[in-house]
Amino acid sequence: MVKADRIHLIWLQGQGCTGCTVSLTSAAYPSLVDLLTGFIPQASGITLDYHLTLQVTWGGETTKVLKFAEEGNLDPFVLALEGAVPDENLASKTGGHWCVLGEDGEQFVTVSDWVNRLSRKTAAAVAIGTCASFGGIPHGHPNPTGSKGLMDFLGRDWKSSLGLPVISMPGCPVPGQSLVEILAQLVLAVRGYMPLPELDEYHRPKSLFDTLVHESCPKAGYYAGGKDAHVFGELGCLGLLGCKGIITHCSLAKDGAECTQHGAPCIGCAEPSFPDPPMSPFLDKAPVMPYVTDTVHGVIGHVRAGLHRLTRRPW
Amino acid sequence: MREMAKLEAVEKEKEILIEPMTRIEGHLGIHAKADVSKRIYADAHSFATMFRGFEIILKGREPADAIWITQRICGVCPVPHAVASAQTIDMTYKVTPPPMATALRNLVHLAEQLYDSPLGCIILEGSDYSQALVEKFNPEWWREAQKRKAERVDVHGYATIADIMTALNPLTGSLWLRALEVAKLGRDMAALFGAKHPHVQTFLPGGVANAVTVGALETYVAMLARQIAFSKEFIPIFDDLLDFLVSVGYEKSGARPAHFISYGANDDPEAYDAKYENMSGWGEKRKVTPGVIINGEVVTNDLVEINVGVREFVDHSFYKRYYAGWEQQIPRVKKDPLGNNIAKEHPWNKETVPEPGPMKAWESKYSWATSPRWHDWRNRVGGNITVVEAGPIARMWITAKSGKVPESTGRSLKFSIPKATVAGYKVAEETEFEWKIPAKPNTVERIRARAYYHAYSAYVALNQLLSVMQLVKQGKTEVWKSYRRPRDGLGVGLTEAMRGGLAHWCVMRDGKVNSYQVITPSAWNSGPRDDEGQPGPYEEAIIGTPVTEASEPSGWQGVDIVRVVRSFDPCLGCTVHIHVGGRTVLQEIPV
Repeated sequence: MVKADRIHLIWLQGQGCTGCTVSLTSAAYPSLVDLLTGFIPQASGITLDYHLTLQVTWGGETTKVLKFAEEGNLDPFVLALEGAVPDENLASKTGGHWCVLGEDGEQFVTVSDWVNRLSRKTAAAVAIGTCASFGGIPHGHPNPTGSKGLMDFLGRDWKSSLGLPVISMPGCPVPGQSLVEILAQLVLAVRGYMPLPELDEYHRPKSLFDTLVHESCPKAGYYAGGKDAHVFGELGCLGLLGCKGIITHCSLAKDGAECTQHGAPCIGCAEPSFPDPPMSPFLDKAPVMPYVTDTVHGVIGHVRAGLHRLTRRPW
Repeated sequence: MREMAKLEAVEKEKEILIEPMTRIEGHLGIHAKADVSKRIYADAHSFATMFRGFEIILKGREPADAIWITQRICGVCPVPHAVASAQTIDMTYKVTPPPMATALRNLVHLAEQLYDSPLGCIILEGSDYSQALVEKFNPEWWREAQKRKAERVDVHGYATIADIMTALNPLTGSLWLRALEVAKLGRDMAALFGAKHPHVQTFLPGGVANAVTVGALETYVAMLARQIAFSKEFIPIFDDLLDFLVSVGYEKSGARPAHFISYGANDDPEAYDAKYENMSGWGEKRKVTPGVIINGEVVTNDLVEINVGVREFVDHSFYKRYYAGWEQQIPRVKKDPLGNNIAKEHPWNKETVPEPGPMKAWESKYSWATSPRWHDWRNRVGGNITVVEAGPIARMWITAKSGKVPESTGRSLKFSIPKATVAGYKVAEETEFEWKIPAKPNTVERIRARAYYHAYSAYVALNQLLSVMQLVKQGKTEVWKSYRRPRDGLGVGLTEAMRGGLAHWCVMRDGKVNSYQVITPSAWNSGPRDDEGQPGPYEEAIIGTPVTEASEPSGWQGVDIVRVVRSFDPCLGCTVHIHVGGRTVLQEIPV
């Protein structure tokens, strides 16, 4: 438990598109503003000290913040990374850089450098979105810049000053609501009001990522009833039109999987393999085996439930 | 003597390096030199500092995948990428979407513009004119602003210019907080037919994935009413603020010649057939007129002519000059489907190899952005290669000047947005807006055009909704046309993001992407010097901008530079996406 009045948030942008930032601004209850203004006293005192898209200052003034944090003057701070981290060794072969973020003295500093430097002091590190979690589009074949997600860049065994591993929040973009929820939970957890989020093998919070899109899909009933869409715009399961919901863990799933709800097949954008096979080609059908397993479980489940329906209610 | 001369030089010139540039999308730096005695910026370099390699990643994939992948170039303006890409693939696959699909793509696109305009004007650019920054950097403006009555107070409720500036304060200002809400609303509108935003999920070759429902249409209209109510306050607020800035002499900031490009946007659902051969026809029917303007005058409104004139130079960018040694190579595309010659520097022929090199090498390569230019290949005004600017000011200027839409008067764009009664807003009645072509593009007028584009987008969205209802009534509810992918194909998709013209080019061989190229609006605007040494629009606009900072030259932080650059609404993720290809022999595509 940490008794910090202030918790500083440093949001770095690597090889990203700012989509997760845009998504962050769409969180409603609590919203980003709620989070920053303290929607309950126990979660108050969060300051967004560094965020290229939102901050007032520019140039050297902004980079000072990163230096302060590195020197231990912004304690405690949470490092949030949006976008992937490239392999600067590849760029330095011809004397250049893939991704630069400000200067230290007269020297440009790469985002990979900042991540390394800040990782030594940070209280927690959160990978925002699929790029920061797993490499995302920049690491798509043939991964021209050698991009990685934060967990692989820092190492799976890396621990923050509070003893936490990298927390991965994939999704392209990560839904703003899921993100604010986890950031708020982290703050409440370090202050001792809530448990820390439990993580899965990819360091994703289980509470958000333990469900496949397919399992809580609004079209799951059509699938169970054997009703499939054969052309776009037709009502039915989207499995024959390329949906990857059966192999995708997504934090939107429990909120009603808005992609499939709108008739759009899932493209697996929250999974580590995105945008490569088996997620792409996006309009190709998902692999057969998950459907076979699903069908077997389905038959067993239907028979069991059918038998249960013949018995009396016990209470 | 030599020592003294050196000292004098130091005092005469102030060098400023702004890296990172903030309150924009992505990674950008600016290097500038100010002439201290004249208090103006005398030189500038704009440099992009991040590379991902989208077009390498696209190579060899199924072309349709570009619709999802290219949106990830930019999370601020993904929908124009979806539109450009879907149109590129429609053309490559030779499939004409049903009218309803085109109308629904328009609704999603317009919803994004409704989010992006307040985001740009208020959240990203507005902070530069907030009390917090103005009081710090321009105390004399602040004193004046406290005295100056806001002319349109009865419409928006802010009594003085200082009240508007205070409302623009990040995180606390009433306008800043409202803009966040309105932006969210715009994105919710996009998600109604796009499933989610950023990165919409429903766009497909040959149409869209989602069936249209009366419920979703009505929800869209109800949300649009809130945008309309906001627009009626938003524009008068910005007119007051920007008129004030002009009154204190800020029209000199960010000025450059009136050379523009716009591809136009929002197709007529019945006219769009995705065929290159008919592109001049359906292009002219767009609600935002395509065109190129040189020295304030329209050179062309023909999308084919505009496409053929696009050039992409890389002399000062971290890429190999793909058009050097051209004579030994076979071009990929020699002629377009109408028989027009395609130049070696045209994106259809582009082959780019990244060469990351040392930074701050202002005389050689210094940016990850390229230098797109427009060539007057039909020799209408001298046959030059011109530095053209993209953005809402280009769209408004071209549409106002060209007379292709009924709202265009030749000198202005005039339209009314209807009655909308929404709690919390002062004006419910129908309101007429007239955006007048200004004397010159500059910082102030770029922002004004962006604000007015909010109202114009709402107006076009309303008209699109009426045509969607008509289509529903006629039973034309089909949203997707099935297709068979040809072996080879050629496509181009030309549209507008909030920050300006966006185009995609695809060459397909054996059913796979042979080449996929993107030129974004911020490439047009942020690019470095071209091969002839002409500065890009950011650079050109900074050069000649006065320094208004009250402090001593040693304390100058470049607030006027960041104001100029933000008036273009930079989107750097968009700009740097270029691909790699190691081949020297390019294959020719039969067209």
